[in-house]
Amino acid sequence: MDAVIQTDKLTKRYGGARGIDDVSLSVLRGEVFGFLGPNGAGKTTTIRTLLDLLHPTSGQARLFGLDSRRDSLAIRARLGNLPGEFAFEPRRTGREIVAFLAALRGLRSLGRTSELAERFSADLDRPVGHLSRGNRQKIGLIQALFHAPELLILDEPTGGLDPLMQEEFHKIVAEERERGVTVFLSSHDLDEVERLCDRVAIIRDGRLIAVEHVDDLTRRRYRHVTVEFADAVDVSELRGLPGVRDLQVDGRRARFGVAAGALDAVIKALARHEIVDLELAHPSLEEIFMTYYAREEHHA
Amino acid sequence: MSVAPAASTQAPAVAPPARAALRALVRRGLLDNRRAPLVWGGPLGAMSAFVVALYPSISDSLSQAVKGYPAGLKDAFGITDLGTVEAYLNAEMFSLFLPLAVAYFAIRCVAASIAGAEEHGYLDTVLVTPVARRTLVAGVFATTAIAVAAVLVVAGLLTAAGAALTGQALAFGRLVAALAGVWGLALFFAGCATLAAGVLHRAAPVLGAGAGLLGGMYLLDVVGKLADPVQELRWLSAFRYYGTPLTAGLDGAGFAALVLAGALLAAAGAALYERRDITG
Repeated sequence: MDAVIQTDKLTKRYGGARGIDDVSLSVLRGEVFGFLGPNGAGKTTTIRTLLDLLHPTSGQARLFGLDSRRDSLAIRARLGNLPGEFAFEPRRTGREIVAFLAALRGLRSLGRTSELAERFSADLDRPVGHLSRGNRQKIGLIQALFHAPELLILDEPTGGLDPLMQEEFHKIVAEERERGVTVFLSSHDLDEVERLCDRVAIIRDGRLIAVEHVDDLTRRRYRHVTVEFADAVDVSELRGLPGVRDLQVDGRRARFGVAAGALDAVIKALARHEIVDLELAHPSLEEIFMTYYAREEHHA
Repeated sequence: MSVAPAASTQAPAVAPPARAALRALVRRGLLDNRRAPLVWGGPLGAMSAFVVALYPSISDSLSQAVKGYPAGLKDAFGITDLGTVEAYLNAEMFSLFLPLAVAYFAIRCVAASIAGAEEHGYLDTVLVTPVARRTLVAGVFATTAIAVAAVLVVAGLLTAAGAALTGQALAFGRLVAALAGVWGLALFFAGCATLAAGVLHRAAPVLGAGAGLLGGMYLLDVVGKLADPVQELRWLSAFRYYGTPLTAGLDGAGFAALVLAGALLAAAGAALYERRDITG
């Protein structure tokens, strides 16, 4: 499967200040790729560099196999983008904005605009300056999608949308994936990323710290174990087991996390006791995300 | 309901011709500035019409008064002779107020459409379409040239109407020449503002740089007429090439130099704009 987005040691610095450092990743055709990180981590800088709004200090990015700087126009003809803060002249209506952007793209019609407006319950005929943030975001999504691009780059796409519209957006992303569109989205909403994305990249302080399949990330890292013994158990025995962490004991019930690779040894050790109840749970993406950050913090 | 891709509207695999994008940008820019001819041209034209209408009642006393003015002062402000309505209109409107106001309008157009649009994040949507930054800059410059012309046409029509209503024999050809001169001057400053927007990310500094240059060049020209040591520097001022078209006719070479310099400055601004970041 070919890469639609490929970055190689992509670096952007603002004078002496950090933007992003040596970001290397690839996004495959037809996948939904999540880009996670807190404010200021470098998500928007990465996206703006891909879009040629910012010029890289070093390294390079290729989209559709084309150079992000030299072939920027050909690349932009094939993508749709929602910026982090969608803004347009407040006097313009959504319909006028889409018509203007269609003209800039050399399109004779507004494409899927009406259908999308219906699905998002968007008002295309009010000036965007009179719309709430959520309704403005709907116009932003429509202008990103109306021309059926091959690649969608969306920066915080559901910001300001109510839950119903978030749901509609999730359905649209699933449909876009069905028809082979590649989606690169940055988000704070880890549930959303977990639900929508095939793979996820985590960025911190401008550096990529992980790129993983969402399933692998949630399955492979560790498990939450809750075990209830028939009799009291020596806590030190549990604490001494390999891969066990965050142990909490409440009477005959113990809760702890265990590294996926150490699960076999832990289960065998537990089996030496009479067990009343046992629960193994995958951590949420949010927990994994926080674990990554805590670990990086520790290394820093 | 699902959103089916429409083959006819799917994003084309190649960027469309720049000409189509330029047309769209100019159309949009003109729509944004559609009130400018009335808002700017209306008051300027009304003032000019008032000046023309006032002339018959004060022409005699003016001639007497002007005789007493120092020669340098008369040269500096283009009031060597107020014996004609053109000379009076030139002294009152076309030597200072109208060119400064229209050139400021041109600077403002460029500052708002490039740096101002960037500052407000509007370009984050426009510049991810297959439109080259130089096309955007060309569109803004062309829009400004047309908007300035529209402002001047309204101002000129009101001035001519004022003359016709009060029975003044205002030479129409000279009025057109003067308006063309102001247009060339405004285009030069639009070029300067474009150059500034090629580097600066916010509207206020672009406006400040353009307005500062406008005021500075005007002062240089005026002081150059009054003081011999500064006389040699007048070539640095755009007003030197603007001249006094209402009384002396349009200086064709000066007009061409202003328009060409404006276009070259805009091209330089576009080149710088291509090379810098869009900060949003």
